[in-house]
Amino acid sequence: MPTEFNESNLPFSLLEPDELKLLRGNLDLGYYQQGEYLITAGEAPEGLFIILKGRVRETESLDDGAQQEHVFVHYGSEDYFGAWSALKGKAMHNFIAEEETIAHILPTKVLLELVYSNPRFGDYFSRTLAAKTEIHEQQGEEQGMAEFMLAQVDGECMRDPLIVLEGATLKETTAMMREKHADCVLVRKGARYGIVTGTDLLNAVVLKELSLDTPVSDIASYRLITVEAGDYLFNALTLMTLQHIERVVVMKDHQLLGIIELTDVLSYFSSHSHVIGLRIQRAQTIEDLSRAAHGLNDLIRSLAAHGVKARFAMDLVAAMNERVMAKLFTLLVPEDILPHVCLVVMGSEGRGEQIMKTDQDNAVIMRDGLDWPGREAVLKRFTETLIEFGYPECPGNIMVSNPYWVQHLSDWSQRMSDWAGSADGETMMNLAIAVDAKPVAGNPALFKAARNWFLRQMHDNQVFFSHFSRAALEFDTPLTFFGSIKKREQGIDIKKGGIFPIVHGIRTMALQHRVLETNTFKRIDVLRDQGVLKKQQAGDLVEALSIFVQIRLQQQLARIDDEAFSEAPNLILPERLDRLDKDLLREALHVVKEFKKHLSMRYHLER
Amino acid sequence: MLRAIKVLRERKQHRDGPYGYLFEPYRGDEVVSLDCETTSLDVKQAEILSIGAVRIKGSRVLTSERLDIKLKPPKTLTGDSIKIHKIRAMDLSEGIEMDEALEQVLAFIGNRPMLGYYVNFDRQMLDKYLRPRHGFGLPNKMIELSHVYHDRIKSQSLGGDVDLRFDTIASKLNLPMLQRHTALGDAITVALMYVRLKYGKAPKA
Repeated sequence: MPTEFNESNLPFSLLEPDELKLLRGNLDLGYYQQGEYLITAGEAPEGLFIILKGRVRETESLDDGAQQEHVFVHYGSEDYFGAWSALKGKAMHNFIAEEETIAHILPTKVLLELVYSNPRFGDYFSRTLAAKTEIHEQQGEEQGMAEFMLAQVDGECMRDPLIVLEGATLKETTAMMREKHADCVLVRKGARYGIVTGTDLLNAVVLKELSLDTPVSDIASYRLITVEAGDYLFNALTLMTLQHIERVVVMKDHQLLGIIELTDVLSYFSSHSHVIGLRIQRAQTIEDLSRAAHGLNDLIRSLAAHGVKARFAMDLVAAMNERVMAKLFTLLVPEDILPHVCLVVMGSEGRGEQIMKTDQDNAVIMRDGLDWPGREAVLKRFTETLIEFGYPECPGNIMVSNPYWVQHLSDWSQRMSDWAGSADGETMMNLAIAVDAKPVAGNPALFKAARNWFLRQMHDNQVFFSHFSRAALEFDTPLTFFGSIKKREQGIDIKKGGIFPIVHGIRTMALQHRVLETNTFKRIDVLRDQGVLKKQQAGDLVEALSIFVQIRLQQQLARIDDEAFSEAPNLILPERLDRLDKDLLREALHVVKEFKKHLSMRYHLER
Repeated sequence: MLRAIKVLRERKQHRDGPYGYLFEPYRGDEVVSLDCETTSLDVKQAEILSIGAVRIKGSRVLTSERLDIKLKPPKTLTGDSIKIHKIRAMDLSEGIEMDEALEQVLAFIGNRPMLGYYVNFDRQMLDKYLRPRHGFGLPNKMIELSHVYHDRIKSQSLGGDVDLRFDTIASKLNLPMLQRHTALGDAITVALMYVRLKYGKAPKA
């Protein structure tokens, strides 16, 4: 069609020539005035809309009388929308022309035809839809998925197959299985393999009353259920569940490699979380530990490559980092000192929210009156070793090698309280870092005493909370008046624009309501359960933060080898995002904007 | 006036014939935007190279229902018109015969009003081929895009001449220029202009 319909855009570029012809042959052009509805919530949309010129906003449908509409997303030229609604048969939101708009319309019927005829095209939509549905439904997910998705079919969980020749009898086979403690054998018949299990043998002899001299190849089943080596272990498990079987054969390029048993898969999954941890746990020397620590970056890469959600990867990595630090601390600090000191990690480490190894933020709290003369040398070594392990130095020098961050309990508590009463920016930042502290080694009671005292002190101090929360509003959220992502040539600082406002706002609320968790996701959950946050709002914040973290991780992995990376690890370049991520980012930034409004109301902040 | 009498006379002759439906008064809400690419702007000499048309229903341009006809190359395809349309004889080698093209056009337009930019030229071009074959010209109501535009502009301002050039109208209406100088592209652009004028705010003069 001789119109400006750009077929090179995803997902249309996935279509085959004859499918494109079908598409072209069925497009209409609609003209809409400002304020006109292209799709009305609750009604069946006509189909997929692709904007030729103009601008459309997607808004939540509100009850009658409500004045303010909540805008989710804006669409501009070449953007498309309505697929989700069209496939569902009912629109969730209103799509309203923000200005005069001309749009191509692909009728639902044809959209469906294309979705069915071209799986990749269909996938593109379902992928978008799945992600969008997630936002709408705010589902929680099994955290164990992270490890499920990691594990592959390989030597670690596979058994060598026991193979008998065609002529072997039932008796010989049974004897061999008993000898090798196997409960199944593979029978070779010509070029093919068949499988015989203990149950098969029992059935053959007892129920069918076959003679013990019957060749085992007579009772074997030659329809083998197989998986390819390197496939996800999870798929093998699914296969077994679907087929109601307890073992599958592993093949590699048509060569038989081994057998996986259901029990092996189950035990692998139940113990896997300990495997990595064990290496750290078993480390006897700093060298052992160094090897384990260096393996973490590869782990992160492979987690991301396997599509594990950043949020879950974060949990796993935080746990590993913690173990590394705890182990190192116990290796370095003399045994008699350990019960009298507590190593705390702070900032993003304390919240368990770093994925790539980030700056060290740690401190030591000592029992009042403890005399530990050798501490400076030991703690200096601790910091230096961590740097060797790949945990960068803290630019603000918030590390145990700095005596300022090694304090006796009462001094530590007093200082927190002093910070809270002071108004300057640096002490506020110190305080923000310190309240996210989490004990990882030594005696955690010391930390708890300091924390509880502080929380009691701060309770009801409205002036402090109002002051403390203000930082959350400090940075602009990078949305334009119209609500699309501001295009800055240098990209978006996702930490300032998205992550920090949520983290800090939630931190303030958590302090006020004496939430002991430090992880922002968990803090949000507790605040929701306490009724401080509305359910919907809590869900939105969790999703928004997950999206920021996910997108940041993607870009960090892509840029990790760039030179400019270390200077601006929080930079997001919108042009590197695909459509879906851009949409999600846009929605997530809207959540931040709303949250900031909420904060300024709650803490009476004026902008 | 002359055309009105002609149409009346031809209706009498043909309303019971095979093309009688063309002469029925139209009661629907559709309009057909049509454009011909020709070898010249002089009706007597010009020959049709291609015909493009789309239906308009309300504020919607039904690009899914369209006509995109290329004709067999006429003998007069010369350098001058090639420069304008970028249609060379080889581009038309797969074109269809005029008889076939006229059948398609008549079936597509039916008795709907026909819209065009300088629509009389397109009508005269089609009539030039229709009359010798069927004994009638297009009886349809004609809608001239530049008149529609002129009327909307005039109601906004007083006096002065209105610039009626195609490109000017497109830019005043803030419409994207689709493939200029292809029959179908122009037909769609004119259709968009029409819909925009009919349903949108009046453009500034």
